[in-house]
Amino acid sequence: MEKGRGAGYGVYVAVFAALLVLTGATVGVSYIDLGIWNVAAALLIASVKATLVALFFMHLRHEGRLVWTFALVPILFLALIIGGTLSDTLFR
Amino acid sequence: MTENTADGTMLSGGGRSRGYLEEKGFRSWALTLDHKRIGALYLYTTLFFFLLGGIFALLIRIKLMYPGQEIFSNHTYNVLFTLHGSVMIFLFIIPAIPSGLGNFFIPLLIGARDVAFPRLNLASYWIFVAGILVILGSLLRPMDTGWTFYTPYSAKTAANVTLLSFGIFLVGMSSILTGLNFIVTIHTLRAPGMTWHRLPLFIWGMYATSIIQVVATPVVGITFLLLAMERLFGVGFFDPAKGGDPLLFQHFFWFYSHPVVYVMILPAMGIISEVIPVFSRKPIFGYKAIAYSSLAIAFIGFFVWGHHMFVSGMSKTAGIIFSFLTFFVAVPTAVKVFNWIATMYKGSITFESPMLYSLTFIFLFTFGGLTGMFLGALATNIHLHDTYFIVAHFHYTMVGGTVVGFLAGLHYWFPKMTGRMLSEKMARWGWLLTFIGFNLTFLVQFYLGFKGMPRRWAEYPPQYQSLNIVSTVGSWIMAGGILVMFSNFIRGFFRGDPAPANPWKGLTLEWQTASPPPTENFEEIPVVTDWPYGYAKRKTAGPPPRFFDRGAGDG
Amino acid sequence: METAEAGDPARGHGGQMMNAFAQSAAASPSAWKIDAVFLFIAVVSLFFFLLVEGMLIYFAIRYRRRKGAEEGATSEVRGNFILEVVWVLVPSLAVLAFFIYGYVVYRDVTTPLPGASDINVVTGQFVYEFKYPDGRAAMNELRVPAGKPVKLIMTSRDVIHGFFIPEYRIKQDVLPGRYTYLHLQPDLEGTFDIYCTQYCGVGHSTMRAKLIVMPPDAYAAWAAQGEGAKAAMSPPEKGKALMEKFGCMGCHSADGTVKVGPSFKGLYGRRVELAQGPAVMADEGYIRESLYDPGAKVAKGFPNVMPTYKGSITDDDVAAIIAHIKTLN
Ligand code: HEC
Ligand SMILES: [Cu+2]
Repeated sequence: MEKGRGAGYGVYVAVFAALLVLTGATVGVSYIDLGIWNVAAALLIASVKATLVALFFMHLRHEGRLVWTFALVPILFLALIIGGTLSDTLFR
Repeated sequence: MTENTADGTMLSGGGRSRGYLEEKGFRSWALTLDHKRIGALYLYTTLFFFLLGGIFALLIRIKLMYPGQEIFSNHTYNVLFTLHGSVMIFLFIIPAIPSGLGNFFIPLLIGARDVAFPRLNLASYWIFVAGILVILGSLLRPMDTGWTFYTPYSAKTAANVTLLSFGIFLVGMSSILTGLNFIVTIHTLRAPGMTWHRLPLFIWGMYATSIIQVVATPVVGITFLLLAMERLFGVGFFDPAKGGDPLLFQHFFWFYSHPVVYVMILPAMGIISEVIPVFSRKPIFGYKAIAYSSLAIAFIGFFVWGHHMFVSGMSKTAGIIFSFLTFFVAVPTAVKVFNWIATMYKGSITFESPMLYSLTFIFLFTFGGLTGMFLGALATNIHLHDTYFIVAHFHYTMVGGTVVGFLAGLHYWFPKMTGRMLSEKMARWGWLLTFIGFNLTFLVQFYLGFKGMPRRWAEYPPQYQSLNIVSTVGSWIMAGGILVMFSNFIRGFFRGDPAPANPWKGLTLEWQTASPPPTENFEEIPVVTDWPYGYAKRKTAGPPPRFFDRGAGDG
Repeated sequence: METAEAGDPARGHGGQMMNAFAQSAAASPSAWKIDAVFLFIAVVSLFFFLLVEGMLIYFAIRYRRRKGAEEGATSEVRGNFILEVVWVLVPSLAVLAFFIYGYVVYRDVTTPLPGASDINVVTGQFVYEFKYPDGRAAMNELRVPAGKPVKLIMTSRDVIHGFFIPEYRIKQDVLPGRYTYLHLQPDLEGTFDIYCTQYCGVGHSTMRAKLIVMPPDAYAAWAAQGEGAKAAMSPPEKGKALMEKFGCMGCHSADGTVKVGPSFKGLYGRRVELAQGPAVMADEGYIRESLYDPGAKVAKGFPNVMPTYKGSITDDDVAAIIAHIKTLN
């Protein structure tokens, strides 16, 4: 609706840099042996990156309640598919 | 009849214009941004694949007429049932109502001039066509895995699995875009005064459907990508020899494919909710219950995918959880059926073809739904799973439910879409033959399944023969019915009587504009003042019910 | 007419089951137990079916309007809260009953039977291979003595297959890379069909086998006569030899002494505390995993030093080793 939503190039460049750093972190972490926590770390970093993209590049932080609802509700379904599948693999 | 035009002639604008059909030529169709034309394109395409899938089905039935029928090879049979399932599901049932009828009628029913993103709409149609072309390309080495693509077989077979699944990936993409478009349309383009609780129930059904499409379809897309990576690069997601898990594929696949059966059935239920009150001349009973049960079905539908996997080697714990949840999808479905029947109570019912199909829907769908109880229960599922009982069950819900609901919608809206009436007599013959043929074909399959005949068998032991003959003969009668029905469509399209704006005296907004509607749908956007189901006729004479005003300018 | 037609299958099934009940003996207890669930659901569903279709047809006839007749007066009622509650609650209770009954019988027929003898099943496109504890093997023919429970330990060489005995009312998919199980209680002597129910390729519909339930003495005679045909060693013997060959006994023992790793004595069927978390049952699947992927589940209190035997050991070897470990109880 309103123009000039982007807060200028500065923010975008910063987010881009952050994404690069986090990509580096993903690679770095994979060299350390944390056992099962390797997966957790990779997923955590990826989630942070996705959040950054959604908030800044996709302008989610400027959006209203309805758009936020549509952005967040699918996370429930993600939890559902993971949980449902684990209810199989963990109890075999 | 003739003097009773109070509702009918209010808006039909005199001289017969062909409305949105006026403009001719290839470009005017291929590049149209009009939701009605895009809807019509979807309908032509999907109806074509309905007939094609039907031909595959007839061939399947011919092969199964005798235990070791040699008319074509077992491999051909395996290809045919794969194509029958894939074509019917991905190219007919999933797009037919949402993308076809939905595109045409969502803007009309909510009093809008078009969908929210007309260009995206056109793009989604052409992506759909691209998907179809890729799928046709896969026929060079046709696939034989069944429409379920189970690994490791689908990862190992020499057939063109990658191409077919990529085609379905594209078709799914188109379905996501359409769903997205509808959600935004319903949120933002409702006519002034059309609150959520004044929405026609078809819109509620389509809204729930669109949410499923947007949430679930990406999962199958990703699953097919993983399958393609496994086939092309040997990544072992599903291959136990490489540390993968074949059941993971089934989890992913059914996480999409179970909710998608509600993509098929919810819009059909929406159509039934429109037709029953019109032909019973009574307000819909339990509006909110029907509206919210659509959302409930869509939501609970996501929690039950594991009921396709009770005997797959999934953990017992998961089986118990999924069986329990499965049963609770049945409740909102039952609520709808009861409300439809209560709507008929003390009505003034006529049985034109749309109503005939709607009553058939309730009749067959109830039967199909109840047979699902045997499959949701763990104990009986271990016997009936992967037998003809399943085949019969899902044909009762998918054909007896979705397809019959779709046909109800086609007969109901045909005058609006084409500006011409169908022959009622031919419609009845088509209905009768289809009904008899359908029941002959599939009723006996319950018994075959109970006696243990597995599905996807090209040949079978002789003890199953006699009922298979009945089933095959039934499929011919059904084909005859569909032939009559399509002749009626073609005859009606070219030579049918001109249709009035409102042949069934409906109150929803699509009937308040000309048949066929003009390109911009409404001369003026109506202002809605009440819900659309005020059909009751009071004993004392009074003004006919109205739920909208005209002339408040564009919204 | 419509009611009668669509009602028939339910009634047909009902009739079918009546026969099953009337027979003095079902092929297996699983058959009549599952048929009982079927009958229960059929009766309750039939009630709802008749109710719904009855009302549908009755209303359609009772409130019809003749052709060309004036539109009759209709009521303006828009809903009824109490009715809505009733038809949410009543079906909920019915499906709850379906769930519970279905679950109880499911638990029953999937629970291992005491005193069962183990038979290994290996499926491949498009055959069933049966391996008996004493080393005999057979293709597409499973012979068992009547009255004695059997446990099938199944795995697949290639793709997923099914294992379905219609007369027993039970089936189970057979997966590559894993074991799945079926528990049979063969009561009735006779020959029964075994079908593959999971599409597995061009020969899928001819992938069938026979279950032959024999009188115990006839079975014994058959087993003795097959003596010559059987493999040089029975699976447990073969397993013992393999374990010596692979050097397992350097770290494990058969008599309860703890070396580098836990002893095999009494291992099978015991609950094993894991370093990673909750305890698991040491069943065929667990032992198999210990060999292929020892790090996945590490027994508590032991170092994660066991080497993987993946690639150097065949599925048949694993089955033999499991058979041997079972004899150490
Ligand atoms: C280098 C020593 C070593 C060798 C050789 C070895 N194991 Fe192990 N094994 C262990 C240790 C230590 C454990 C306990 C930690 C674990 O669970 O990984 C173990 C655990 C097991 C277990 C699980 C037992 C339980 O109580 O949880 C089984 C079964 C097993 N081994 C079987 C075998 C077999 C069969 C072989 C030969 C083919 C073999 N092992 C060879 C060291 C060894
Ligand atoms: Cu098979």
